[in-house]
Amino acid sequence: MAFKQHSVLPGFKLSLGYTLLYLSLIVLLPLAALIIKTSHLDWAAFWSIVTEPRVMASYKVTFGTSLLAALINLVFGLLIAWVLVRYPFPGKRLVDALVDLPFALPTAVAGIALATIYAPNGWIGQWFEPLGLKIAFTPLGIVLALTFITLPFVVRTVQPVLQDLEKELEEAAASLGATRGQVFYKIIVPTILPALLTGFAMAFARAIGEYGSVIFIAGNMPYVSEITPLMIISKLEQYDYLGATAIACVMLAVSFALLLVINGLQWWTAKRLGRRK
Amino acid sequence: MSIAINAISKRFGDFVALDNLQLDIASGELLALLGPSGCGKTTLLRIIAGLETPDQGQILFHGEDATDTHVRERQVGFVFQHYALFRHMTVFENVAFGLRVRPKKTRPSETEIKRKVHELLSLVQLDWLADRYPAQLSGGQRQRIALARALAVEPKVLLLDEPFGALDTKVRKELRRWLRRLHDEMHITSVFVTHDQEEALEVADRVVVMNKGKIEQIGTPEQVYDAPATPFVYQFLGDVNLFHSRVHDGWAEVGAARFAAEAGDSDKAVVYVRPHEIELSRVATDKAIAGVISHSRLLGATVRLEVDVKDAEVVEVELTRERYQEGGWQVGEPVWLNPREARVYPAA
Repeated sequence: MAFKQHSVLPGFKLSLGYTLLYLSLIVLLPLAALIIKTSHLDWAAFWSIVTEPRVMASYKVTFGTSLLAALINLVFGLLIAWVLVRYPFPGKRLVDALVDLPFALPTAVAGIALATIYAPNGWIGQWFEPLGLKIAFTPLGIVLALTFITLPFVVRTVQPVLQDLEKELEEAAASLGATRGQVFYKIIVPTILPALLTGFAMAFARAIGEYGSVIFIAGNMPYVSEITPLMIISKLEQYDYLGATAIACVMLAVSFALLLVINGLQWWTAKRLGRRK
Repeated sequence: MSIAINAISKRFGDFVALDNLQLDIASGELLALLGPSGCGKTTLLRIIAGLETPDQGQILFHGEDATDTHVRERQVGFVFQHYALFRHMTVFENVAFGLRVRPKKTRPSETEIKRKVHELLSLVQLDWLADRYPAQLSGGQRQRIALARALAVEPKVLLLDEPFGALDTKVRKELRRWLRRLHDEMHITSVFVTHDQEEALEVADRVVVMNKGKIEQIGTPEQVYDAPATPFVYQFLGDVNLFHSRVHDGWAEVGAARFAAEAGDSDKAVVYVRPHEIELSRVATDKAIAGVISHSRLLGATVRLEVDVKDAEVVEVELTRERYQEGGWQVGEPVWLNPREARVYPAA
């Protein structure tokens, strides 16, 4: 075979075969089933389901809030990673462990907790109520929940890269007359950009699919704070399986396209950085 | 620009990196800081650059106190052992970096930057690599680019931290000759750190031999090699044989051989002899040390013999290849050793 390569590591065929089988069963098969099921619809019916005004509104909510949450974490995730790598302080390991909490916590618990705290009569919500700012049960609440859920992604992808960043690069730049700001924008950011983009992409993708935490804090008002996964669930509850799969297909296509774009971007920046020595 | 290092001390926790160091660097000279790893030479270089602050003492640049001046304003060019090139920039952008980060008022125009960068790239003979990325270059090329980058800001002082340490022997030799020539053309005050005595002796105008945070000796390559001030310097600058002895009436005795000792009488002394300063003979003389050849090894143009001597460790003798063949020396043969030169120091 053309692609067969000699390698000192045995078991290439076995491990590759296993990998393909595993990916097929776990990832490709369900996705294929989804598409096959959707193909029972004719084009006009499919189009009318996925462009229904209420569904269209839910796309806006889902992708808009997800993008916002990912952007917020892009900035603050970098900040957290920076602090964790650069500065020694007491309780650092605890803070480091806290970052992973959103991974471990059941999303429903997070949703309920956030909804309780940010409700108009909640601990934090009561201070915003007089200002005319409602957080829970609005799209703002959704952004909040998604920010919480996707916090670890940027931190955990950027942290190791920041750790490996050679101190000498910054020293070299400083000796050439660069200010702290110039060192950050011209040296550090370009070096960690691929990791930042990866973290951003993962946070974004995770946010689009999030259901558990959002549902409690969103308020789920039609046209305002309904997310697309909720539309799928409500179709399922009405035994409208074809409608549910049609919307799911759109989600799948959009998510896939977004990941493709962001990975392309990441590949491009990584290529510019060249091979690591 | 001249540099004065005035009573500099630096500690890292309990470790004393520099201990009350005093050193004057003349304007335009090429100075080598030579010593084993951990002797404080890199710390000293980093303090001169402003990358490290001393616990005590002062650094004067041209008579002015620069101790608290930030590295950004010191106008030093620093070259790192592992190049520290910016991977996401082309060679051109790397060299242009120091010009581009200047404040708008003093920043040269784009055409001026272009001219300057290409001038520097031709100086390091790598103009044809301007559009490459550092990852696509060899180690020697990277270090030359790093040097061009440091020179772009027209530094008053050039500091090099083991600049050839990560390169293979052949490239290293080429580059140090090239550095010497470059310095002869530019006459910029330069300090470089090395643990390689051959490198220091070949390149530098003056050599500073350091050990354990202190300066052992400062001098021209000839001075430190021919008249080492301390046993450490003698041992560090080349291979050495060591004999234990004692000094009596101004003479140290090793077997039947006697060596003049400048230091006073003492019960314990060490006698150092360099391997190439020993004559071999088949005839016993009253001043020779008896031994048996136990090994011979060919090292290119020289031959190194190991001779077993009674009451001593193995003695190494170095001969040119012709001398070795003329003598027809054989392993297992008894010989007498006549040291031509020796140095006697009181044992610590």
